[in-house]
Amino acid sequence: MERSFAKEIESLRLGDGDIFRGEGILAVTKAILQSGVSYVGGYQGAPVSHLVDVLVQAQDILDDLGIHLETCTNEASAAALLGASIHYPARGCVTWKAIVGTNVASDALSNLASPGVTGGALIVVGEDYGEGASVIQERSHAYAMKSSIWLLDPRPDLPTITRCVEEGFELSEATNTPVMLELRIRACHVTGEFPAKTNKPAKVSRNSRLPGPSAFNYDRLAHPPATFMQEKLKLEQRLPAARKFILERGLNEIMPGDLSEIGIVVQGGLYNGLNRALMNLGLADAFGNSRVPTLVLNVTYPLVPEQLVQFCAGKRAVLMVEEGSPEYIEQALHTALRRADVNTRVHGKGMLPAAGEYTIEVLTRGLLAFMKSEQPQIDVSAADTAFSGALENRKAAQAVIGTDLPMRPPSFCTGCPERPVFTAIKLVEREIGKVHIAADIGCHALATFAPFSLGHSILGYGMSLASAAGVGPLMNTRSLAIMGDGGFWHNGVLSGVASSMFNRGDGVLVVMQNGYTSATGVQYIPSSAGNRVDGLSSGSDIETTVKALGVKWVKRIRSYSLGPMREALRDALTTTTRGLKIILAEGECMLARQRRLRTEESRALKAGERVLRTRFGIDDAVCTGDHSCIRLSGCPSLTIKPNPDPLRTDPVASVNSGCVGCGHCGEVAHAAVLCPSFYKTEIVHNPGWWDRFSDRLHRTVIGWLGGRAAAPAPMPAAGE
Amino acid sequence: MTVPLSSGRPLSILIAAMGGEGGGVLTGWIVDAALRAGYPVQSTSIPGVAQRTGATTYYIEIWPEKTTQRPVMCLNPMPGQVDVMIASEFVEAGRAIANGYVSPDRTLLIASTHRIFAVAEKSAMGDGRYDTGKLFRAAKDHAKRTILFDMDQAAKDSGSILNAVLLGALAGSGVLPLPASDFENGIRAEGKAVDSNLAGFRFGLSHGEDEIAARAAVLSSLPPAAAIPALADRIARLPMNVQTFAAEGIKRLVDYQGVSYARLYLDRLDTVVKLGDEGLAKETARHLALRMSFEDVIRVAQLKLKPERFAAIEREQRVKPGQPYTVAEFLKPGVEEIASLLPPAMARSVIALCERKGWTEKLHLAMTVQSNRIGGYLKLRLLAGLRGWRPRSARYVEEQARIEDWLDLIRRAAKLDMNLAREIVDCARLIKGYGDTFKRGAGNFERIRARVILPALEHRIAPAAATDALVQARTAALADPEGQSLGNMLADFEATLRPAIPQAAE
Repeated sequence: MERSFAKEIESLRLGDGDIFRGEGILAVTKAILQSGVSYVGGYQGAPVSHLVDVLVQAQDILDDLGIHLETCTNEASAAALLGASIHYPARGCVTWKAIVGTNVASDALSNLASPGVTGGALIVVGEDYGEGASVIQERSHAYAMKSSIWLLDPRPDLPTITRCVEEGFELSEATNTPVMLELRIRACHVTGEFPAKTNKPAKVSRNSRLPGPSAFNYDRLAHPPATFMQEKLKLEQRLPAARKFILERGLNEIMPGDLSEIGIVVQGGLYNGLNRALMNLGLADAFGNSRVPTLVLNVTYPLVPEQLVQFCAGKRAVLMVEEGSPEYIEQALHTALRRADVNTRVHGKGMLPAAGEYTIEVLTRGLLAFMKSEQPQIDVSAADTAFSGALENRKAAQAVIGTDLPMRPPSFCTGCPERPVFTAIKLVEREIGKVHIAADIGCHALATFAPFSLGHSILGYGMSLASAAGVGPLMNTRSLAIMGDGGFWHNGVLSGVASSMFNRGDGVLVVMQNGYTSATGVQYIPSSAGNRVDGLSSGSDIETTVKALGVKWVKRIRSYSLGPMREALRDALTTTTRGLKIILAEGECMLARQRRLRTEESRALKAGERVLRTRFGIDDAVCTGDHSCIRLSGCPSLTIKPNPDPLRTDPVASVNSGCVGCGHCGEVAHAAVLCPSFYKTEIVHNPGWWDRFSDRLHRTVIGWLGGRAAAPAPMPAAGE
Repeated sequence: MTVPLSSGRPLSILIAAMGGEGGGVLTGWIVDAALRAGYPVQSTSIPGVAQRTGATTYYIEIWPEKTTQRPVMCLNPMPGQVDVMIASEFVEAGRAIANGYVSPDRTLLIASTHRIFAVAEKSAMGDGRYDTGKLFRAAKDHAKRTILFDMDQAAKDSGSILNAVLLGALAGSGVLPLPASDFENGIRAEGKAVDSNLAGFRFGLSHGEDEIAARAAVLSSLPPAAAIPALADRIARLPMNVQTFAAEGIKRLVDYQGVSYARLYLDRLDTVVKLGDEGLAKETARHLALRMSFEDVIRVAQLKLKPERFAAIEREQRVKPGQPYTVAEFLKPGVEEIASLLPPAMARSVIALCERKGWTEKLHLAMTVQSNRIGGYLKLRLLAGLRGWRPRSARYVEEQARIEDWLDLIRRAAKLDMNLAREIVDCARLIKGYGDTFKRGAGNFERIRARVILPALEHRIAPAAATDALVQARTAALADPEGQSLGNMLADFEATLRPAIPQAAE
């Protein structure tokens, strides 16, 4: 785990009368425990990783409530987990990152939604959309519509989010339909408070098990002919039931306003931003009192036509505030009004942009346009001036700062074991020329940024080898696929390795074996040294696995050993041996490693045990400021500083105090034959008598030989 | 019907940070202080993959008074409506300003002026650092008020962390209706590194209160070089603004080879001083010293053994007095570098042989030498001891020829056009480093010499045109290691000449 959640776990124990304070996604977790779930599962990914991460560390809470936790190997298995709710009155919740996770899960989702569920089934998706997103920009909404899964998009405050979780389970049971709860990135990380309830044990759980399986019921199989009947059920029974429930419970909220000629229909998740935009126009206050009647859709699928018609009837125009494309809700709104022969004008895309996040700036611009065209009698000039003033100020600032402000994309951590592999690839490409590189999802995708800029395509998590299958045969040079061990287990082992063997592929695959899915927060995977259940390895070894799949050419190489790695890559890319060639680049995730070592080291230091600390450095006088070392590494702790030499002007390379002594600089200096300015120091803490003796001996003798006198050094002022 | 609209807006705080810096901790402290004061508060963030050293932001809204009804707070900032902009690094502050989050009528900008260089800046072949001068101007022009100082240094001085200093500066600014005690109690309650965090907090607090003026990181002024008695008078005879570099130069060359070599330096320098342009002389003094102290195996050994070097290492690596430690050097001279220590004739034949066999790329003498251990020390001493032999080595002879040629070009150019001469002097900066880096640089200089400098000296190109070309060529040569940009630049340059003066085509 990337971090300890001890504090957060305490808040999961809160009961009636307590006030919960914390992050959105943690509030969701608490609400799940308050809803009497029997099982929880998921696959990690920002922004919802914490949901499962926290529960993994809260095993005793799960034991008390008899909840089963499944840390799934991909989103498909997480979705399939919900199969338990088809027959049995067991509530279940799974989570993953959307859109990508929902793509992977979609097969199971279709087959779950068709027969429908008995126990409430909730899917919490982290809608990775807008600033900070790491995936393609698409909407989960399409999946809800095509599979008849109800989609909740709550207002981003904790009371509403938790209410939607709890009533989401009820909605699911009342309509025999799985329910999807969509939370955008910022909503997952938003902090706030809500009145907690005591956690509720489920009727069916590990602590109160079912006597046995339910009776055979063909109608509950996603299999013809049942599927034809199920399609009818979806539309003739479940859909109306859902609309009834939504109205009865008032899941969608109507905010009144005196400007009755107009109105706004908004996705719940965008409500807070909209309110601020209304404030900017002087049409609302900070407490949500607004002059413009607003229909807040905490449920964005299904829509309730009569509710939409009732809200719009008698109005000149409404503004549909719907983020992303296609504008499914806007289209549905048009249809509803047309069918009811209501002629209220509907503005939406056009006044608001078709693509991109709906920030307050975007919403304010759209609202100004809407008010000017539909309520010209209301004076918004003050807001208009303020708005354009802010944008003018920005333009002016950009003029001063210029376009050359350096970008700062994410990069490999200091000492990351994956960095050296890309250095090796760069060096090999110098010898044999460029090769097609199929990149993948994971930390190693950071090699697509400078200084490596390696990778021709990214086709999805664990898909690199598969995405190179069509390239290799069309090219004179072999193609190279990069994959993490996370991607390997997520599906690369089948869609990539098995498929390549099956088709007599001749490509090269590098698997980064760092022991975890690190980019998502360092979670265990089948080949991890540990396991959340019993701390032992699951025994699923990648080398054994690929050999069992028939791969003959497999090399296991320590990723920091630049020389051998370079050899292996050259060999794999140029050998006449045909067939898939796999290089396993071994090196534990430095985040995980440091977390372990730091605690161990500080303990040893306190206990007065001998500790050897390795650091790297660069001689200012020897470095000539060419920086090829940086072009081959990009390590955050390998940086530059003003040249202390009065005769030189180019900045010199320098290793800052963040160095963890992984040794890559030295390897690069050697392998690439760079300048001799790198040095490695090994400092002995709590030295033994031998350390002291030999050190004194060397100092003295060197002193005699006219070398430096063993003068005590002044203590450090600055770090670099 | 509808309630009347109340006035008032929440305070808006945006934090720009880099992944892994603990911006979340700072955010947590601020939120905690607001809660202690009983004010409604909300924070959010977009960690994503930016957690890996990339630029990221945290956003906080505080309702600055106690209230029973919870206000609707926002999840992202709006340009023109940010009250406090906090940046943990100066270019990130610049990014925030460029994004419109700092406005003259509203925003207090609290930023550390230290730099953490981006990859693009670090990986440049010369000096790719962004000019922060612009940022100081932008900060002054676009913020209502600023608190700018090197908080990274402040953190180090107070044995604390950057975030604690930032928090202190925020508390001291008085923009938030929160007493310092609420922040301090938050730090205490968290219970992690309490004392050091409080120290940093108080440092920031005091600086927040009496807004310290920004100070750009300026290069340390030149240290006065210890005059070499034998040559002191000759330096004294040089033009004033040439003296510092010249003094530094002879100091270096005496250490590099000896007094007579330093004298040769001054003789060479005089031939340029005679040309009567102080600017030209000054830059020549600088580059000539560097070129004459070219890096060969012997020089590296010399530098690795310098006492002040070990003092520096102990400072940088935080070695306590008397604490045992070892220093391992990564040396890998190529066969050429070693052969170039031989007399010219011998060296030529060895290198020729290696090239025939294709060894020049492959043959390297990889050594990891422990320079503060007897064995390693002796190895390096042996190499450094070759200093007396150096003048007989092939590399020395080569370099002296190169240097004389360069000086000759400068002198000839000076007769045509002083600007042209100055640019030729500056081209020396292309020639630096070891092994491939050196070869690449020397090669680039050679191309520029043949295709711009000589044509100019032979009156085939107008001096002014050549001068501009040299400026472009230098930039191009430093643009990419493959020398692509330089090739293109030279081709374009010649293309522009061809119509005007046909014979320029070589």
